Amino acid sequence: MTPGRQAALTSPTAGLQRGWASRLAVTWLVLVALIALGRNFLANGEPLLLRDDRGWSSPALSGRPSGERSPDAFTLRAPVAHSPNAVQIDRRLEAPSRAHPMGTDELGRDVLARMIHGAAVSLAIGAAAAGIALLLGSLLGALAGYYGGLADWIISRSIEVLVCFPFLFLVLALVALFRPSVMTLILALGLTSWTSEARLVRGEFLRLREMEFTDAARASGARDWRIIMRHLMPNAIAPVIVLASFGVGSAILVESALSFLGLGVPLPTASWGSILSAADDYMGHAWWLALFPGLAIFGTVVACNVLGESIRGALNPKGK
Amino acid sequence: MAAWLGRRLAYALLTFFGITVAVFFLIRAVPGDPVTYHLMQSGRGLSAPPEVIEQIRRTHRLDRPVTVQYAYWLADLARLDLGRSFVDRRPVRDRILEKLPNTLLLNGAALLLALMLALPAGIFGAARPGHWFDRASGVIFLLLYSLPAFWVALLLMDLLSVRLGWFPLLGATSGNYSDLSGFEKLGDRLWHMVLPVATLAYGQFAFFARFTRSSMREVMGAEYLTAARARGVGERRLILSHALRNALIPMVTVLGVSVPVLLSGSVIVETLFAWDGLGRMYYMAVLARDYPVVMGMTVLTALATLAAYLITDALYPVVDPRVRVGGERS
Repeated sequence: MTPGRQAALTSPTAGLQRGWASRLAVTWLVLVALIALGRNFLANGEPLLLRDDRGWSSPALSGRPSGERSPDAFTLRAPVAHSPNAVQIDRRLEAPSRAHPMGTDELGRDVLARMIHGAAVSLAIGAAAAGIALLLGSLLGALAGYYGGLADWIISRSIEVLVCFPFLFLVLALVALFRPSVMTLILALGLTSWTSEARLVRGEFLRLREMEFTDAARASGARDWRIIMRHLMPNAIAPVIVLASFGVGSAILVESALSFLGLGVPLPTASWGSILSAADDYMGHAWWLALFPGLAIFGTVVACNVLGESIRGALNPKGK
Repeated sequence: MAAWLGRRLAYALLTFFGITVAVFFLIRAVPGDPVTYHLMQSGRGLSAPPEVIEQIRRTHRLDRPVTVQYAYWLADLARLDLGRSFVDRRPVRDRILEKLPNTLLLNGAALLLALMLALPAGIFGAARPGHWFDRASGVIFLLLYSLPAFWVALLLMDLLSVRLGWFPLLGATSGNYSDLSGFEKLGDRLWHMVLPVATLAYGQFAFFARFTRSSMREVMGAEYLTAARARGVGERRLILSHALRNALIPMVTVLGVSVPVLLSGSVIVETLFAWDGLGRMYYMAVLARDYPVVMGMTVLTALATLAAYLITDALYPVVDPRVRVGGERS
């Protein structure tokens, strides 16, 4: 194992152990991830457990509505006893109350339930888009840096073409022209934001391929692919992790902006951005529609950025 | 120098073709075309007789192969003709020139404001690392940087426009703008600019302030500064004259990259505040599949970006005499 790889493996966690801010950020992200994973247990209009004359069942998990129930049936309800898409038109735009801690939206849907289910959309899109950017960027950067010549020329020109177009213009065009869906969003965000990762990895590879351990690997008969993946990539990847952390935050921001413009996740799927777009229509009347999803987006993006900062700090202690 | 310029221009031209080809073919590869949009708008629905659809396709040359369409478009471009909008049949060039002042005004004001606040904030923080101002501003920059602009806009509009009525909610001018006197016109414009400019500026401020601070810190460790300090140069002069001049060098690149945004505008802020600029026009053109307008904006932003990069690279040796044209340090 090379010294560089050792550093890449140990220092990010070493950095995370320092400072309350990064610990808070990690706690927040883990919490949001747990909420997203457990969304069907946390917010569901159907009982989690039901015991009636037909025995035990779980309408919430089976997806079959329980329908008419005898009043003496035993039920275990979810903490938030509303489904995210359950419309109650007579309870529209209600301010926060005991029944609806974050109020209801323009169709009488429970905002807290939609927030819980929206967490999954935001996190999944953020993580997947940043993941695609990380994979694509480091792979193309590695090929350009290692081989140079024509591969480098083609990849560098493609980066220039991509960078020449304002990021939001490109994503907007991709999402608006193709049918909006979670997959479209992930691809549109991931396929347009890999350029900084690629540049960084390319630069590292240009440096690393001249180092002695690369010559040693080549002399011992390792093939190009093995040298790239086993010897050079572990040494080049650490700073890219920092970019990926910022990338998750920026993807969540752009997704919510697109959902806000009505071009994000298709309705009625809940997303933090789409709850906010209703706030635009009822401005001055329904503050709870603007406050809670906005805070959730803000908090999650801050957490990603704090995480990125502390990893960067750990990798580069003199950079302060 | 001439050889360098020639090579750079050739690359820029190649990149420009790459962008236009990519966008031209991309927007034609997706389902739905302007004809279906036109028919929906005119209320005829999709039941229009095939000859009508065929006729509209022919007038827009949409019946030809895409490569032929691109050749036609390129030939028009050579005559500085960007074609006519599919939606209102007006020349795209006129539409762009008409919205350009609004976008320049909004984004120029935001960039200027952000820079004017960011430079002192960044310099002050870098001058006293670890001072409470430096630590607090570090946190504030990070928070500002993570704030979603459309949320801030929403809260500002809700509080200051709808509830308190201090600022106009939408648009770049009031309805009675043409009746106002010259001085009142200026006031009306400024009054409409406050919220959109604030929304655009805070993120840029955080970005530039962080950048200024980090490039100042990088310079502050240099030996020539220790030498200057040893010679008895005062701290104020040391920072403002010796350190700042070198710290501003990377700033040239960052500024060069942000100049094209002045032209492309901000889609979200312009859409939210119904600001009649290029970003909003582009957004509506994408929704309406208005190919000539989308291509026109592509040409504009691509040219602006390429020109900005070229000028930045050419200016670098002027700002930093150690650098020769072509990027290598001597």
